[in-house]
Amino acid sequence: MAQPLAGTKVVDLSGLAGAYATRMLAALGAEVTKIEPPNGSPLRRMAPFIDGAPEPESSLWWAYLAMGCRSVVVDLDDDGDRDRLAGLMAEADIVIDDHGPDVLDDLGIGYEQTSAGNPGVVWVAITPFGLTGPKRGWSSSNLVAWAASGVLYTTGFDDQPPVVPGGPAQMGLHATALNAAVGVMLGLRGRRLIGRGQLVDLSLAEACLAIAPETGVPVFLDDKVHRVRAGNRRTLSRPFGIYPCSDGYVSILVLMPRHWEAMAAWVHEVCDNEAIIDPVFADMTVRGETMELVDSWVEELTTSMTLLEFFTEGQRRGIPITPVNTVATLAVDPHLEAVGFWSETELPAGGSARIPGPPFRTSADWCHLERAPRLGEHSA
Amino acid sequence: MQQRLLDGVKVFELGIAIASPNAGRLLAHHGADVYKVESPTSPDIVRLIGSSWLRDNEELAPVAPDSSPYVSEMNADKKSVGLDLKKPEARAVARRLLAECDVFLSNMGARALADLGLDYESVRELRSDIVYVQLPGFGSDEDAPYYPFVAWGPNQAPLVGIDDLTGHADHEPAGIATVAPPDYLSSLHAAFCVLTGLEERERTGEGVHVDIAQFETTVSLLLGPYVMDNALTGNVQSRIGNRSLWYAPEGVYPCAGEERWIAISATDDAAWEALLGLAPGSLGADERFATAEGRLANVEALDEAMAAWTVGYANTDLAARLQAVGVAAHIVATNEDILQDEHVMNSGFYQARPSSRFTRDVFCSYPIRLSETPGSWERAGPSTGEHTAEVLTEVAGLAADEVDGLVAEGTAFTMDRPDLRVDRPYEEWLHVLLPNDAVDSRDL
Repeated sequence: MAQPLAGTKVVDLSGLAGAYATRMLAALGAEVTKIEPPNGSPLRRMAPFIDGAPEPESSLWWAYLAMGCRSVVVDLDDDGDRDRLAGLMAEADIVIDDHGPDVLDDLGIGYEQTSAGNPGVVWVAITPFGLTGPKRGWSSSNLVAWAASGVLYTTGFDDQPPVVPGGPAQMGLHATALNAAVGVMLGLRGRRLIGRGQLVDLSLAEACLAIAPETGVPVFLDDKVHRVRAGNRRTLSRPFGIYPCSDGYVSILVLMPRHWEAMAAWVHEVCDNEAIIDPVFADMTVRGETMELVDSWVEELTTSMTLLEFFTEGQRRGIPITPVNTVATLAVDPHLEAVGFWSETELPAGGSARIPGPPFRTSADWCHLERAPRLGEHSA
Repeated sequence: MQQRLLDGVKVFELGIAIASPNAGRLLAHHGADVYKVESPTSPDIVRLIGSSWLRDNEELAPVAPDSSPYVSEMNADKKSVGLDLKKPEARAVARRLLAECDVFLSNMGARALADLGLDYESVRELRSDIVYVQLPGFGSDEDAPYYPFVAWGPNQAPLVGIDDLTGHADHEPAGIATVAPPDYLSSLHAAFCVLTGLEERERTGEGVHVDIAQFETTVSLLLGPYVMDNALTGNVQSRIGNRSLWYAPEGVYPCAGEERWIAISATDDAAWEALLGLAPGSLGADERFATAEGRLANVEALDEAMAAWTVGYANTDLAARLQAVGVAAHIVATNEDILQDEHVMNSGFYQARPSSRFTRDVFCSYPIRLSETPGSWERAGPSTGEHTAEVLTEVAGLAADEVDGLVAEGTAFTMDRPDLRVDRPYEEWLHVLLPNDAVDSRDL
């Protein structure tokens, strides 16, 4: 059976803020054409690179995120190239653009101009701060978007500057792209129902603001507590947060009484600690008030084990514990291995590499991805 | 009200906290009838949190389960159906409701769903074309090693490698202590899959089972290039503070005042040149910083020089100056800052709507703004069991006295003390939140 988006044509004029969306649309069968400038997409200049592969085919960001897409080179400063692009857009079901407000409009190939001849087009305009408002002309980045969201201010230790969540992963841009993918599906449904396309206005700023509710404005208005960054353990009770083990760190989340009972019994058993099973510590508030003591007892246990030992034994005892995984520990995680998560892709310049598998599993056959294209591979 | 994209779509949701509820609420925003099936006997965590200001007020105890801001943040515009699914009679009613639904959405553990007889195979027997989307932390394959493991929101970011990537280099991981991004990212995948599943059903007449294991989903979304690099070279990318792997300067720098910071990203040479137009001459004169490669290679010195400059400015002032010349910059905003930010406050991102417990309640909207078929908001989050009678009679087809009987025996629940209403202590902020609200929404 045909994939869900077979026959759907996508013209992609975005960089990292749209890349995961077009990758997912391509996985579901859409024909995604990435429009690249003559020197290649900005993704092609992002490290890490493949040793020995020639530029501009060496970026692993490109090799991963451009999978399943086609590459057509367009010089936006060239009249003939712009006409060719306008031709592709006239046939497109979906356009995804992150050049910022007005840029394509000023070149005569914006949403208004395109939809005049192609009223069915669903156009996702990804911008730093949205298409309206005082900051519509402002620039952004992953870091800047998180700074505006309130989340960055509350992340980190109080004796160091606040720090962006998941920096090297560029999580805010991927969150934006995910919203773009949802916007595309809403737009396609809309086209079926009302017979025409529309403009989807999506900003990096709001994509990050939408991840802030647990520390955000409505919660603040309710409790009036100024949020501060408090390191990697929470003050509510202990153990709650990140703890060292012999070869890394683990995350422990003990709030519920049954979780504490199991935790205390474990420390008692292994470390010969009589004090920890005193019923006074069953009260999570008491554990918060005596956090240094409780943490020192728990750390005696955690530091005596590897993260995988502590994780699996803790879970066996019913305690919500996870490893603080690194890229290296994920690579050997027994569960991911057992469920056949890892996949493989060819690389644009030859060879292959291991990649994460699809983000979800479906009973119907939805997801397939070919390798990322070489620069201009589909220009002709 | 104008027609919405998901008008007529019925969603059966068994949601906890964020991952499923944030997807269900998006569907409700676009017109779907989303039935949040819940029970006071094993409540969603948002019903347990409550509000700090009524925690010890016994008179207001019936309000407590409905009082957390998360109730609206994650459940606005949903209908709450109170059913104790531990009882077979309640499960029978749930099956009648499910038979009328288009979508099943849940982030309960896979084993717990199976125990309730609500695994995909069972639900498909009730509704053969169901779009069934589940978000168990470790997937629904019962042979998988972590299948029985407990996965809680704050544990997911460490699990998927995001906490390791958060913090300053050479320090222990800072982690993300205040929000659980994987929950939100999974919820967006769920919304995408529901919408795709509905379009597929339109085309093929068939439903689908989608299994969104947060562990796998988040790794697939966020770590691709670093997984490949690790496989090819053994390199392990870890945290690097606020710096960029690709350009400099990028960082969070101190400004005038206590805990006032600015984030700056000079993403290319043009931005760097523009920044130099505002910065002291010494920064531009330093040979080490003359090229993009030089700035990356001397990033420690560059960051020190940047901090020595920014600390003399108010962060709002410097951010505006940098943006005026095209450099990406923003204050590191607090909630108090956001409430003073005209851009955000005029955008409609925060919404206030009538609520059965509060005169009105405030919550976030979504970043996806559609020009022709926008979503809309009618009500804040529901009180527990607020819509039990309405949904069970009008949708599941029960007689009114049947519902009364279920309530009397504790199988179904309706809203406790509907006459008890309070105001949140933030009325003084509403003019800030609703600058364009010409009509007092009390009158809605």
